[in-house]
Amino acid sequence: MKKKSVSSSLSRRQFLKGFGSGVAGSVALNKIASALPLQKTLEKAANDANRTPLNLSVNGKTYRLSVEPNRTLAEVIREDLQLTGTKVVCNHGECGACTVLLDGEAVYSCHILALDAEGKSVTTIEGLLGGEELHPLQKAFVKKDGIQCGFCTPGQIMAAQALLLKNPRPAKEDVLEGMSGNLCRCGAYPKIIESVLEAAKTD
Amino acid sequence: MRYFDYIQPENIKQASESAGRDWRKALLYAGGTDLLGLIKNEVESPAALINLKAIPGLNGIEYSEREGLTIGALVKLSQLSAHEVVREKYSVLEQALKETASPQLRNMGTIGGNLCQRPRCWYFRGDFHCLRKGGDICYAVDGENKYHCVIGGGPCFIVHPSDPAVALLTLDAGVTIASAKGTKRVALKDFFVLPEDDIYRENILQPGEIVTHIHVPPVSEKTVSGYIKFRERGAWDFAVVSVAATLRINGDTIIDGKAAFGGVAPKPWQEEKINQKLKGLSVKPGNFESLSAEVLKEAEPLNQNAFKLPLVRNLLKRLLVQLTAS
Amino acid sequence: MADSKIIKSKYFFEEDFTEELAEVSANKYADWNKKELKVVGKPVSRVDGYDKVSGSAVFTFDVILPNMAHAKTLRCPHPHAKIKRINTKKAEKIPGVLGILTYENAPKISWYGKSFLFDPHLRYEGDEVAFVAAENERIAEQALKLIEVDYEILPFVTDAAEAMKKDAPKLYDDGNIRGGKPSVYERGDIDKGFEEASAVAEQTYKTQVEIHNPTEPHCSVVNWDGDYLTIWDSTQGVFSVRDRVADVLKLPASRVRVIKKYMGGAFGAKLEAGKYTVMAALLARKIGRPVRIALDRREMNLSVGNRPDSVQKLKGGATKDGRLTALYQYSYGAAGAHPAGAGCSWALRTMYLCPNVKTEEYTVYINAGRARPFRAPGHVQGFFALEALIDELAEKIGMDPLEFRIKNHTDRDQVFDAPYTSKLLLDAYRVAAEAIGWKNRPQPAGSDAGPLKRGIGMSSQIWWGGGGPPAYATLKLNRDGSVRIIAGSQDIGTGTYTILAQVASEVLEIPMEKVEVLLGDTAVAPYCGSSGGSTTAPSVSPAVRDAAEQMKAKLLSGAAAHLNVSESQLVYRNGVIHTKGKNKKSMTIREIARKMGERVLVTTGKREANPDGYAINSFGVQFAEVEVDTETGKVSVKKIVAAYDIGRVLNPKTLENQIHGGIIQGLGFALFEERIIDRNTGKVLTTNLHDYKLPTVKDTPQIDIRIVSKGDSKISNTGVKGVGEPAMIPTPAAIGNAVYNAIGKRIKSLPITPDKVLTALQS
Ligand SMILES: Cc1cc2nc3c(=O)[nH]c(=O)nc-3n(C[C@H](O)[C@H](O)[C@H](O)COP(=O)(O)OP(=O)(O)OC[C@H]3O[C@@H](n4cnc5c(N)ncnc54)[C@H](O)[C@@H]3O)c2cc1C
Ligand code: SF4
Ligand code: FES
Ligand code: FES
Repeated sequence: MKKKSVSSSLSRRQFLKGFGSGVAGSVALNKIASALPLQKTLEKAANDANRTPLNLSVNGKTYRLSVEPNRTLAEVIREDLQLTGTKVVCNHGECGACTVLLDGEAVYSCHILALDAEGKSVTTIEGLLGGEELHPLQKAFVKKDGIQCGFCTPGQIMAAQALLLKNPRPAKEDVLEGMSGNLCRCGAYPKIIESVLEAAKTD
Repeated sequence: MRYFDYIQPENIKQASESAGRDWRKALLYAGGTDLLGLIKNEVESPAALINLKAIPGLNGIEYSEREGLTIGALVKLSQLSAHEVVREKYSVLEQALKETASPQLRNMGTIGGNLCQRPRCWYFRGDFHCLRKGGDICYAVDGENKYHCVIGGGPCFIVHPSDPAVALLTLDAGVTIASAKGTKRVALKDFFVLPEDDIYRENILQPGEIVTHIHVPPVSEKTVSGYIKFRERGAWDFAVVSVAATLRINGDTIIDGKAAFGGVAPKPWQEEKINQKLKGLSVKPGNFESLSAEVLKEAEPLNQNAFKLPLVRNLLKRLLVQLTAS
Repeated sequence: MADSKIIKSKYFFEEDFTEELAEVSANKYADWNKKELKVVGKPVSRVDGYDKVSGSAVFTFDVILPNMAHAKTLRCPHPHAKIKRINTKKAEKIPGVLGILTYENAPKISWYGKSFLFDPHLRYEGDEVAFVAAENERIAEQALKLIEVDYEILPFVTDAAEAMKKDAPKLYDDGNIRGGKPSVYERGDIDKGFEEASAVAEQTYKTQVEIHNPTEPHCSVVNWDGDYLTIWDSTQGVFSVRDRVADVLKLPASRVRVIKKYMGGAFGAKLEAGKYTVMAALLARKIGRPVRIALDRREMNLSVGNRPDSVQKLKGGATKDGRLTALYQYSYGAAGAHPAGAGCSWALRTMYLCPNVKTEEYTVYINAGRARPFRAPGHVQGFFALEALIDELAEKIGMDPLEFRIKNHTDRDQVFDAPYTSKLLLDAYRVAAEAIGWKNRPQPAGSDAGPLKRGIGMSSQIWWGGGGPPAYATLKLNRDGSVRIIAGSQDIGTGTYTILAQVASEVLEIPMEKVEVLLGDTAVAPYCGSSGGSTTAPSVSPAVRDAAEQMKAKLLSGAAAHLNVSESQLVYRNGVIHTKGKNKKSMTIREIARKMGERVLVTTGKREANPDGYAINSFGVQFAEVEVDTETGKVSVKKIVAAYDIGRVLNPKTLENQIHGGIIQGLGFALFEERIIDRNTGKVLTTNLHDYKLPTVKDTPQIDIRIVSKGDSKISNTGVKGVGEPAMIPTPAAIGNAVYNAIGKRIKSLPITPDKVLTALQS
């Protein structure tokens, strides 16, 4: 049984080789060919004229910036505004470390263009503080030790904040769902859950 | 990411014209959750992105008893699953949406983009010039193909990644496609294409064509529907396989029903034979067992994914039992 | 008063002995077991909590220096190749590119034994080809694509079994087996042992390659001031990085400063200096600007370490009444493309009483990223196999698996023939078996009614983690009575800042707020070892106690001088020094400190020597309760009960967190995580966090922790054994055994994925 499927797939593979160099293959080449030569895009990127103005409102403050369209919100927050509380771990929408609020909703700032934040309000981990005072949610993370190395923590807290804004009294299941877009490699999950439930209690 | 221009079209016509000029040179950009990944991985290297969000009128949800649901293509997944009518009448869609990706991605990704997202095959996304990218070999067929298709494949063996699409199939959904030339409406089941028909795309859209709306017909009072997604981890993963069903039930009999399957084929999969057999089926576990055994009869698994067959059959049985329980 | 001497210190660090000369404290202090402690052992909140939750914690990843350049690495796309020609001209011309290093223009620095910092012989996908610095990361990234490389593509091998064959493609001239032969351990006579056995079990178990994937990538920021090099590094060992960098750049160690304040995880992957750090230093010097290099997730999955895989053929024999008579292990594992340890036999050698033992282990080179220590290296793999074998043997002789383990309990280390300083494993068994409901597990295996079948399994655990000298801590008393502890250790998320502050606060009886801890800076801190091997708390906390106790003595002496009394008339209580008797006179620490004028009191504490003639180990057990969906093959871990003998608990809050983390990583290893290499191209497919599957919050089981130990006064003045690694060791094994108990089929290779379970159920 097993043997048969291997050999049949092998023959399929042979077939493919023929396929690729046949008619469809030649269509492919011009279809797939990369759209702009790399050198060209580099020249464009280096030219300030190809930047786009952006009014970015972060933590209640509006910044007048001018950015290349290919820059992500996380890059602009971290590099241009130097708000390094927001972390980038996967840069691919696969971990949650870069979570910020966009008009009150949790999004991955690494996977959204900065230009898409025009006209919206962005909240980062730094924006939860009142002066030097921790937000009750942040206090809950300290109290319940929802932290180990701390690198995923800003993203966790922002995801929790979005959850609590929508649902101030979440059940444990709601917390699991709300926090399911944030990985913690240290495995602090049990205490992250406790921290969010604690914050829901005290809020 | 390398540099691209960012185009803010005012209307469909402008967007369509910018997109239609050259194959894959200017790409439609909705939530970007899929597209930015493709650009970062250099699967796509567009010269420009056309921001569909700039076009007004594409992010509403409407409902009428006669027309059913009309969903703008730019509606976010989280917005759709939270909609009252979806929650009341279209459980299968609500469940599929809630099982999609992660909370953040659902706040970012649109339903139109979800239907048009590109495959997740790790060769396709990785540094492999495979058939679908214009190369001359499918690496999966005799490589690491645990997550690939068991039916409908050849010469490429992707599975379609969308969860909502599987749910929408059982609801007889359709899409409106617009371009500078006009609009047309097609059934969702005719929207997706198999690799044997066109290996470079997963749907019928031609350059310059834009999905503007998704239509879901009204359902009767007696309809029950549901979605089971099977993934390896507790959250976040694409479906290893998934099963959707929408059933109209009268007493102990299924009057009419549709089932669809995700994670098994290069497009969201339906089997006419199964849908026919659901009609008039009386509600009995034994019936579900034998019906499920009929699913994916023509499957030809690759060397690492035969497990998907018992899996999908067991899940269909489970779903039918669940839906008819009350 | 401050007594010290220099000794030859020997202790275990990540599966290996370290031996070095160390200055140790000879001071003896009151046994904390006989005292009511006020701060130590209490669930104190992390002192760095504010920084971490507010976003103000500056990780290496976040360091921004004026005029800083950004670097990226060009990596080999092939599993095995040689550079025939490399041309960087086009890349250099891009506006914003500042400098490029390749093997042609970089100094030839030897690395990984037989290889170099830049080696034109590329032995794995991800091997370093060129290093580019530019104005920003995006430019550097694009520049990589314009570097033209002609590769001579060589045959490759990515599977250890294949690599061991005679005609396999060779990574090194002398073959693919490290050292050319297996590493062998033997005691007693295993042939005789198997003859005595009335039951024999023989089985092959496999474990997969696991990637550390800490959230903070490997990264460094380097800056030259003339000949003085400062490095911010995401590292587990500031001194290890300093020494390596100074060595290869031929700088005096005094001219290299390595700083690490916060680090986003490592799990063993950041114990050594990275190539990228040295490349950044070389290029920074050349371009005259600070350079930042941070690896991306793909590089993290290709190039900076992994837990090597293992194939373990185990054979065990036992008598009818449950005595182990012989244990044999033949195993191999892939080190990757460069020398690394891939052994996993310590479990079998040390866990259970057995007179006849033999192990033969091969470490094999393959064309893939090199292994590095990963949380309990060897043990996690070894225990998965050993504990399965033990269960199989127990079943063969018809004995309860727990009883079988108890029967083969040993109070002596059998490799070094020495008693343990403490071993409370039997207590741990008792408490944990009770908590999980061991008696109510399905019997026989697989007997639970489906389709959701419940099962319970267990695994014991042993680890070193007693730490040892050298470890030093300086304590400074400020004029206002507050103190600062300075130690060359590092907090890698385990809570080191907090526990050290607790120790000082306990001894000096001052509030936690008055204690500041500075770690991870080679320019100012006295030496401590790298944070690994579960040695940080056991090594450094006693040094801090020593420093604080010395400070207390100085304060008494100061008070005596000021009050004109003898020291014996003084009592130290709550941070205040009183005279005894009726006419009490007293001074607070603050008052004494102020009387010192601008002089700051300083003490240096040292970790005392480990006791002679003893083995120091931690012990524990985990019981796992799982539910297996027999229709889908999905395994859900419902509950883990973990009971440990780890000496003194300094802080139950951070301790629990550590144990949770170990269990969740163990669960990931048991069920999800696996580096997958395409068999046909030799290229890694799991290079992101979607294809490489880490556990999510929804996979978290209920966790019940029981600590059965108090301080182990034989080891040190704080009596601590480490817990970081012990927490992970038994989890995969316990889950594996629980799955067997649930379905009556044994999945012998990790991870236990639904396809394997479904296939097993159908067979
Ligand atoms: C980590 C991760 C996990 C995920 N998990 C799941 C999952 O479990 N299940 C699931 O179903 N999906 C999953 N997704 C996919 C996600 O749901 C989709 O990326 C998202 O819905 C796409 O919507 P978007 O608006 O972001 O699309 P975009 O990224 O903007 O576009 C996607 C594609 O569709 C095209 N497009 C977009 N809108 C239109 C339109 N109106 N007309 C024509 N073409 C259009 C674009 O040109 C592009 O090619 C996951 C994604 C990520 C990154
Ligand atoms: S399955 Fe399709 S996308 Fe994947 S490697 Fe084969 S051709 Fe490419
Ligand atoms: S860094 Fe944005 S999701 Fe991982
Ligand atoms: S605390 Fe380290 S990754 Fe979450």
